This record gives sequence, C-alpha cells and structure tokens, in this order.
Amino acid sequence: MSGGSLLAWRTMHGVSRLLPIVLVLLTWQAASMTGWLPASWLPPLTAVAMALGGLVVSGELATNTIASLSRAGAGFGVAVVIGVTLGILMARIRFVQLAVEPILVMIYPVPKPALIPLFMIWLGIGNFSKITVIALACLLPIVVATFNGARSVDAMLLWSAQARGTSERNLLWRVILPAALPQIATGVRTAIAIAIIVLVSSEFISSDSGLGYLIFSYGGVGADDAMLAVVLYLALLGYAFDRLYVNALRRVMAWHAFAH
Amino acid sequence: MRVVPLGLVLLAWELVTRIGWVNPYVFPPISEIFIRWFTLVANGSMFAPLLDTLWRALLGLGLAILIGVPLGLLMGRVRWAEWFFEPLFSFAFPLPKIALIPLYVNWFGLFSMSKVMLIFTDCLFPIVLFAYHGARGIGQAHVWSAQARGTGPLRMFWRVVLPLSLASIYDGVQVAVVVAVLVAVVTEMVSGGGGLGTMMIRAYRYGDVRTAFAALVTISLVGLVLYHAAQAVRTRLLFWHVSDSQT
Amino acid sequence: MRYGDGSNAVVALESINLAVAEREFVTIVGPSGCGKSTLLYLVGGFLRPSSGEILLQGRPITAPGRDRGVVFQRYSLFPWLTVAGNIAFGLEEQRMPKAQRERVVDEHIRLVHLDGFRDRYPRELSGGMQQRVALAQTLACNPQMLLMDEPFGALDAQTRRILQDEVRRIWLRDTKTVLFVTHDVEEAVALGTRIVVMAARPGRIKEIIDRDFDVADGEEFDANPAFVELKLRIWRSVKAEVEATRA
Repeated sequence: MSGGSLLAWRTMHGVSRLLPIVLVLLTWQAASMTGWLPASWLPPLTAVAMALGGLVVSGELATNTIASLSRAGAGFGVAVVIGVTLGILMARIRFVQLAVEPILVMIYPVPKPALIPLFMIWLGIGNFSKITVIALACLLPIVVATFNGARSVDAMLLWSAQARGTSERNLLWRVILPAALPQIATGVRTAIAIAIIVLVSSEFISSDSGLGYLIFSYGGVGADDAMLAVVLYLALLGYAFDRLYVNALRRVMAWHAFAH
Repeated sequence: MRVVPLGLVLLAWELVTRIGWVNPYVFPPISEIFIRWFTLVANGSMFAPLLDTLWRALLGLGLAILIGVPLGLLMGRVRWAEWFFEPLFSFAFPLPKIALIPLYVNWFGLFSMSKVMLIFTDCLFPIVLFAYHGARGIGQAHVWSAQARGTGPLRMFWRVVLPLSLASIYDGVQVAVVVAVLVAVVTEMVSGGGGLGTMMIRAYRYGDVRTAFAALVTISLVGLVLYHAAQAVRTRLLFWHVSDSQT
Repeated sequence: MRYGDGSNAVVALESINLAVAEREFVTIVGPSGCGKSTLLYLVGGFLRPSSGEILLQGRPITAPGRDRGVVFQRYSLFPWLTVAGNIAFGLEEQRMPKAQRERVVDEHIRLVHLDGFRDRYPRELSGGMQQRVALAQTLACNPQMLLMDEPFGALDAQTRRILQDEVRRIWLRDTKTVLFVTHDVEEAVALGTRIVVMAARPGRIKEIIDRDFDVADGEEFDANPAFVELKLRIWRSVKAEVEATRA
C-alpha cells in the first residue's frame, strides 16, 4: 500500500467511526427540537454548544482545565517515577519485594476514591491531598506492571548483555528497562484512566476549581447545559489523551511485535 | 508464609501510631480500628449500610449483564451493530462515568435509583467489551457446522454464540463486580443516601475516624469477597470450556 | 557440577577434564541431557562450578565477560535495537568513539552478508538473519573466545547449512578459539577441528577426537570419504550414548 492510499484509508476509517457519534448527536438535536425530549430532561445540543462557547470565551474552561490537568499530571508523574523505580527494585532485590508486597496487597482492594476524605483530613483540602491520592491510585498498576515486566526479562538476554561486557549498573538501563517497557506501557495506560477517575471524584467531594468542580457546581444549580458542556469536553479530553498515548507508544515501540 | 510480612506491616502501623510518629487522629492504631469494626458488626450498625451498598451494586451489575451481554454478542456477530456501537463505546470509555452523577441525580433523584443507574452505566462497558471480544473470537468452524445443521438465528445465539463466549463474558463480569462496588461507594460519598460510602463520609464529618476506617475495611472486604466468589464460581461454571486456557 | 542438595541433587557434569588450545574449533556433541550446554555456560561464567575450576590462560573464570563472546540459540538479540544498534551494543559499552564504532558496525554487517538491513528490527528478520546478527554482535566485541550454544538448532536445514559455511569462512579468515555445542553430528564434524563426545547421566566426556584432515573452504563434505568415515564413527559413539540413556 503506498503512503497516499494508506492515509486515505485511515482517514476514511476514521470518518466512518465518527458517523455513529454524529448520528447520535443529530438524533439528540432533532429530539429536542421536535419536543420529544423535554428541555428539563436534557437541554438541546445547541444550548450545550452555546454554553461551551461561553465557557471558552470567559476563560473558565481554560482555567479549570489547567487546574485539573496540573493535579492529575503531577500525581500521575510522581506515580510513574516512583512506580517504575519501585517495581524495578522489587524485581531485583528480594528484600524490597518482601517489604513492599504486603503494603500493595493491603492497598489493592481499597477503592482509591474512598481514600479521598482520609487524605483531605490528613493533608488538607488543597491541591496536595488530591495529588497524593491520585499518585497513590496510579502507583499500583505501574508498580505491578513494572515488577512483572522486569521479572520476566529472559535470562539469556541478560547473559547476552553480560557476555558483551555490560556492567551490572548498565544492565539495568540498557537491558532490563527496555525489555520491560511493553508491560510498563500497559500499566501506564491503566494509570491514566485511573488518574482521571480519582481526579474527578476528588473534585466532586471537595474542591473550588477544576473540571469536576465545574460539573458539580453547575449541576447543583441546575445549569444543565453548562454542566453537560463540561462533561462532553471532559469526554473529548479523555479520548484525546488516550489516543495520543497509544500513538506515541506505537512510535516509540515500533520494534515491538504487537506495536501496542 | 505470605501472612508474615502482612502481619509485620500491621504491627508497624500499630507501633507508629502508638508512638505518635503519625497523627493518631488521622490514622488510629490498627487495634482500635478492628475493635470498632467488630463492635459495629456486632451491634448491627454495619448491617444496613452494607446491605444498601450491596444491593445497589448487584442490581446495577445485574442490569448491566442483562443488557450488556446480548449487546456485546450482537456487536460481535452482526456487522451493523458493530459499526454503530463500537465507536460509541470507544469514545465514551475514557470518560469517568462518575462525572455523570449530577446528571443522573437530576434524572433519578438523590437516592438509590440514580446510584443504581450509574453503576449500571459503569458496569456496561467492561461487560459489553468482553462479550464483544468473546463473540468475535468464536471460530468460524463452530458457526458453519451449526448452520449446516439448519440452526436458525435465535437458536444460534442461544446455543452456539453464548456458550462459546462465556469465558470472555465471565472475565468481563469479574471486572464489573469490582467496578460496581467502587461506583456504589463513590456515588454514596458524593450524593449521600445511605450505604457504606455515606457511613464513611458522615463518620469523617463527625470526626469519628475509627468508624470511618471501619467502614473502609468493610468496603474493601466486600470488593475482595465478591471478586473471589466470582473466581470460585468460575472454575465450577466453566470447567467444560475448551479455550479457558487462553487466559 | 551439582545442582540442589541432599537427595534432590542433580549431578549435571562430572569429572570434566578438558584443555582447549588457542585457535581450536572445538565442537561438543552428545545426547540431550548430557550437560553440554551446562558446560558452555560454565565456561561463559554464567554458572559457577560446584567443584573444580575453569581457567582461562591460567586465571579462573568467575563471571561473564567480553573476552568470552556467546551466541545462544535464541534471545541473543535485543528486540528494541536495530541491526546496527545490536552490533554496536558492546562497542557502546566500551565507550568507543562514534566514528570508529560506525566503521566496526559496517564492517561486521558486511561480514555476515546483511548489507541493506542496517536499520531493521529483529522482528523483521528471519531466524537465519537474526543469528547472523547475533554472530556479528559477538564478533564486533572482539572476544578471545567464542561460545556457541546450538546456534543453528532452531533453523531449517538449508539455512543451517548456509550458516555453517558462514561460520567456517569467518573462522578460517580470523581464527579464534571456538567452543561450539550441537546435537547434530554432521555439524560437529564439519566445523570442528576437535570433536568432544559427551555421555549423559551423569554428564561426562566420553572421548575426544581430533579431525586430522582439512576441509577446504567451499568443499562439499559428503564427497570427502574421510569426512564420511569420521562422521559415522562419531555417530555410532553418540548413538551408543543415546541408547544407554534410554535403557
């Protein structure tokens, strides 16, 4: 397939996938306009679109997006750094594994959003507590994925590197980490989804900024069109991030058999 | 032997809070948490909230299975269904359905109905996804041999597609069980109305940290027990399944 | 070489006394389970002997190193690196300057006839090509000694034959000391200047035979009567061991 026709096929495929969504949106609008769908149930699509426009213009959307993304990003970032490090240490040093495993086992069954009030009492109602909960929630899938990935590196790959003169230290960077990368990447993808869920939950429970806060407060005063505008926006954001991640992964891990 | 490290961690918690390294008002000693937990269980205060959370979770899950399984299987076997629904689910998947709580409260009120509906919505995704993949993965040979014996579409669904997708569907149910409990608790935390989540938030509001932790313990146990129960049932239910080893 | 302890001990190798001179191409052949791979791993420094010692030029071997390059049957290559990247791997470790590195890499790509595949990833290459890269990768580090563990065992017969010729050609050009493990008697005789036959349970050396005739580069082995005779002799020796283990 030449480059041109591959692009054409991809675009067509993308458009075809967009159609059902467009269909649903059109049905929504039609139902609202004909009166089938009362405005008290669901405001018309046009009203939501206008509300979205208003939020963009007033800058509210931008401000709160930054607030939410910085929290989620910080928590997520911390989780990645600590999680990968911890996972690798656990895989290499038996003692670390024995020490950390029971803590993970204990935290695993606890639904992380349920820890939000606890962290707020402990660390205050500001950003810090939210970032910490998000970090903790994201930590789990990343540590587990890294641990499993690092453990399952084929012994022969390590031997091969050693027979080429690789020092013990470099073994970690040059062999174990790249070999574990596919599994780490899967864990990270899960962590992204978790970060968003915990973020929104925490902003519902107690916050004065952020997208979750907007949804909660607009919903509370009955401004459904604004609320739905933010919900749709959030859906788009989540989708965009996931797609971006998958595409970035495909590029970075072009060498992997199942270009993930 | 796995118990020993766990025991050590609990011991460490106990000591750390007793010594005062960690604020005992935020993290009560483990012993006191367990005493409170046993007390609440014994005097029945844990019972009603547990029941509330449980029946909401199970009802939402049940609805999701009832609607999600046929939908997923349909998507897996019928072209237009796949074309229509797959993008919808794909697009909605990254959105935390929890963001819909205010909307659902508007529609269904502050009490159980909105919660059950949200649990239903959240559980729908893994169930549809797994049923869809299960149905897609059926070997053509099975379908063709059934068709050759004159199996009509309805029987085909019931006797061929469903049993062969069962393992995948069950995987979806296992995931959904955990989701159901999680969503139930979060909705209760946000919109009140009884249940373990409300119990926990209320306890925090009154500064009763021990009760809050006790509620947390119950919440975790519910999730654990349901998941492992589902796991145990799985081996009984699917012992005949040929490709059960594909996991 | 003993694994485990007490009644569960498995003696993989017993009383191995082998001296290998420089520039010898020693092939080790024997039935499965005779410990030939274990012997190789010991020389490579990946395993440590439970008793006795292994000396390289008078000094004991304690760990793997660049002086003993190794080619395994599989998994020698790093899937996340290109062909060039794989070959350069050991060179980067040595902190070789880039220009020099590139030169060595190009030289070795040409050596194993993989021109044009410089920027491919291992998953894009056939099994035979992957083993060529593995060979190039090892040779690029300029080891004193080459250890090869059934490197062509996973390849089809034709590719195997071609690669055997490649190895011989490279060795004739730049004689290093080689330890080559194989279960294929013909391969052992075609490549080795000295053939070690091993017996199993416990693994030990049965006999060592020097190949006292030369095989010229490109000659057809099957036409050479001396070759055929030696091959038959060794095959009988190995066969006796295979049957002995079966008894």
